[in-house]
Amino acid sequence: MFTRRLQGKRFLVACLHTSRRVQNSRKVIEKFKLADIGEGITECEIIKWNVKPQAVIQAFDPLCEVQSDKASVEITSPFDGVVTELLVQEGQVAKVGSNLCLIEVVKEAAIGISPNVAEPVNTSSNPDTNSLPTIESEQEPGSSKEFASAPRRKHPMDPTFTPDTKSNSPIYATPSVRHIARQRGVDLSQLAPGSGKDGRIERRDIDDYLAGAATTGAPVALQDDQDVVVELGRTRHSMWKAMEKSLHIPHFGYSTTLDLTTLHGLLPSLNANIPPHFLPPSVIPTLPLAVSPSSVYPPSPPPEVPPSGQYTRLTYLPFLLKTLAKSMLEWPLFRASITTTDPSSKPTLTIRPHSDISVALSTPNGLYTPTIQSADSHSMYALSSQLKYLSHLGRQIPCGLTPKEMPKRGGTLTVSNVGAIGAGDFAAPVLVPGGGVAIVALGRAKWVWDVDRGDGSGERRLKLGVSWSADHRVIEGAELAAFVECWRGYVENPARLIADSV
Amino acid sequence: MPSSPNLIPTHSIYLSKSTNPYFNLSLEDWLFRHKAPNEPLLLLYRDDPCVVIGRNQNPWKEVNLPALRVREGVPFIRRRSGGGTVYHDLGNTNFSIHLPRTSFDRHMTAQVVLRAVCSLGIDATVNDRNDICVGKEKVSGSAYKIVSQRAYHHGTMLISTQLNTLGDLLHNTKDTMETKGVASVRSPVRNLQQFNRGVTHEAFVDAVVHEFSKEYGIRNVDGEVQIVSEASCRDIEYIQNGMSELPSWEWAYGQTPEFTYTVSQAFEWGTVTAKIRSKHGIILDCACSLSVADDSVSSMSAIQPGVVDSLNPQLKDIERALLNRRYGFVSAIEILKGLGINGMDDETGSGVRAAKDIALWLERIMNS
Repeated sequence: MFTRRLQGKRFLVACLHTSRRVQNSRKVIEKFKLADIGEGITECEIIKWNVKPQAVIQAFDPLCEVQSDKASVEITSPFDGVVTELLVQEGQVAKVGSNLCLIEVVKEAAIGISPNVAEPVNTSSNPDTNSLPTIESEQEPGSSKEFASAPRRKHPMDPTFTPDTKSNSPIYATPSVRHIARQRGVDLSQLAPGSGKDGRIERRDIDDYLAGAATTGAPVALQDDQDVVVELGRTRHSMWKAMEKSLHIPHFGYSTTLDLTTLHGLLPSLNANIPPHFLPPSVIPTLPLAVSPSSVYPPSPPPEVPPSGQYTRLTYLPFLLKTLAKSMLEWPLFRASITTTDPSSKPTLTIRPHSDISVALSTPNGLYTPTIQSADSHSMYALSSQLKYLSHLGRQIPCGLTPKEMPKRGGTLTVSNVGAIGAGDFAAPVLVPGGGVAIVALGRAKWVWDVDRGDGSGERRLKLGVSWSADHRVIEGAELAAFVECWRGYVENPARLIADSV
Repeated sequence: MPSSPNLIPTHSIYLSKSTNPYFNLSLEDWLFRHKAPNEPLLLLYRDDPCVVIGRNQNPWKEVNLPALRVREGVPFIRRRSGGGTVYHDLGNTNFSIHLPRTSFDRHMTAQVVLRAVCSLGIDATVNDRNDICVGKEKVSGSAYKIVSQRAYHHGTMLISTQLNTLGDLLHNTKDTMETKGVASVRSPVRNLQQFNRGVTHEAFVDAVVHEFSKEYGIRNVDGEVQIVSEASCRDIEYIQNGMSELPSWEWAYGQTPEFTYTVSQAFEWGTVTAKIRSKHGIILDCACSLSVADDSVSSMSAIQPGVVDSLNPQLKDIERALLNRRYGFVSAIEILKGLGINGMDDETGSGVRAAKDIALWLERIMNS
């Protein structure tokens, strides 16, 4: 059986013998450890070795059998290579984590093996292994970084293997097949399982795949009538974890409707006067001025606005944010964040001088909450620009939002404009740690007949449902209600803003 | 099942009609190695009377081989999973649950079987060795096998087994045999029928199928159950190979870990102590030493002068004759041939007689 193996492995054996001539490959002795078998097992008896020293093995070939308690465990090789030394004998007991054997592996430049897998052996410490090949001088673990490309999938019994919950089915393929796949830019996970033994991907699978891809374009996901299991992506998983933490916060809710009719009436005028630096260049009216304001002295140059921050019309949101920011200046409690440094001491609140408001952003990548710092110091036009810029970043794939837009400090209030998505009236938003002391969900503005107006005959008014959730450890119900009335005072009577020369 | 090179198990629940233990163990192994790694699988089967030892056990230590030989047609079989020695007959039902390795949990699988037993009206529990018991007595033994993608938990369930036979065939007290293999943990056992007369193999099978289906979300149970016969697997090479491997000497005896057996026997002319060391069923060496009997013991027979002198080189020859022979498969005649003594009746000198005594004794020892 040994000779039969050699014949089949002629390519590999030839590779090993000529490796010195191949520029970018080198032989490394890997120490194969007894990996954690699970079930709390700490040591196993080696029952049987399936290989002898100098045996050529492929990844996934049976290496040895161990026994622990009532379990018989078969261990397969994580590497292709040659077994150079068996470190534990049959009948001996090995502790989990100890070395079982040494396997000489050929590393090619194209195979990126993460630094902590390779542990080159110092020849001087192994005087009896005269058959070790010459090991090149650059032997620091970090040196394998220069060979890094696509990381090789780790064998389940590889001691550094961490079960990647995304990949439930491993990809079996010999190194030569992997090499071809890399050369042709084929992702092996698209082909798994292959047509070979145990689902191994063979060379013909790659050929077929490329032939198929050429004719049909992108492979179509097959629709099944069966349940499909998906793993949560990183952002959604972060949302999961944040929402679990939100259970620590005692929420209470409060909803009302705001009357936007007056604001609605102002919008055309406001839209007509968007400062030029917020307008896209194509829209800016280029009327030649008979008299220029810069004739005596140029006014301060406007700030640089990126194209993604330019817009042509306002929405209600910047106005609502601005009025909210003004209300926050009158209500320090809503500029507070919980900053208890020591869990055993009394809770503390830190009041900020400005109104920091986080905005919930639903993007293709998931739910994010970037923060507008000092919203009170920005004009409505500037707020509108910021909102446009943030949503542009969020819609990039991968997400363009950086810690600059999503600082750890966060806002003290969060606004969720879910009305932009659906014609909702009210919601029950969830407050997460770091999201401030309260969150408000804005519904969709709609025209209703308000019987309270127009001297009893009623009037058509534009109403917006708003739903608050607040942290009851910090905020009282009455305080929130009063704060919302303060906000309403600005929203429903925008004329007041003139007095403040906003 | 049609014959095809890429035949794989597609069902989740297999019931074997065969009572051939070699077939059932090979079927189990085929299902284990060929089922899609992420899908759960259940196998239930019964065997004709046999003794089954664990993968790494020593049959000479675990099995009462002389008693076994007396019973015609009852073999001992080494299985592929770890654990201890059990006795199978038609009153015992075997279950085997196969799962993906990463989600395998032996306690959970034990609970599935426990629920099945409890549903038969028996107040059963699981002990700290993950065996199902009723009170202090075991009704089931378990063993496990783990490979890179899959793992299984299989075990016995005593329903109406001949417990006397079980006790007899598993009775073995070779205190001076030290083995590196796994020793069985002996426990008192009882049949389920002793707690509830109405329990049958069929009822147990139905209960396990039901609990397994519930646990692993198998909706179309009838569609998932596949009844397997030996004939239907005649074309599955893997199973046929397994059936011929299991009874082979290389597997049954040749997988025995290293052990040492120290025995002494007092003869008329003296006491011989033999320390036999064996690994993988082969005798590595046998150290024999001789101590001459006291005058008080052998006052009756005439101790010929020089008997010690003539015996010692013969002992060396006996040791040499045993070297590299298969433990338990050497006859006295073969040993004596190594000494140049042909047959039992040839020559009656006391030195030769002693050699014959020793040879017969060693043969008997290794067959016990």
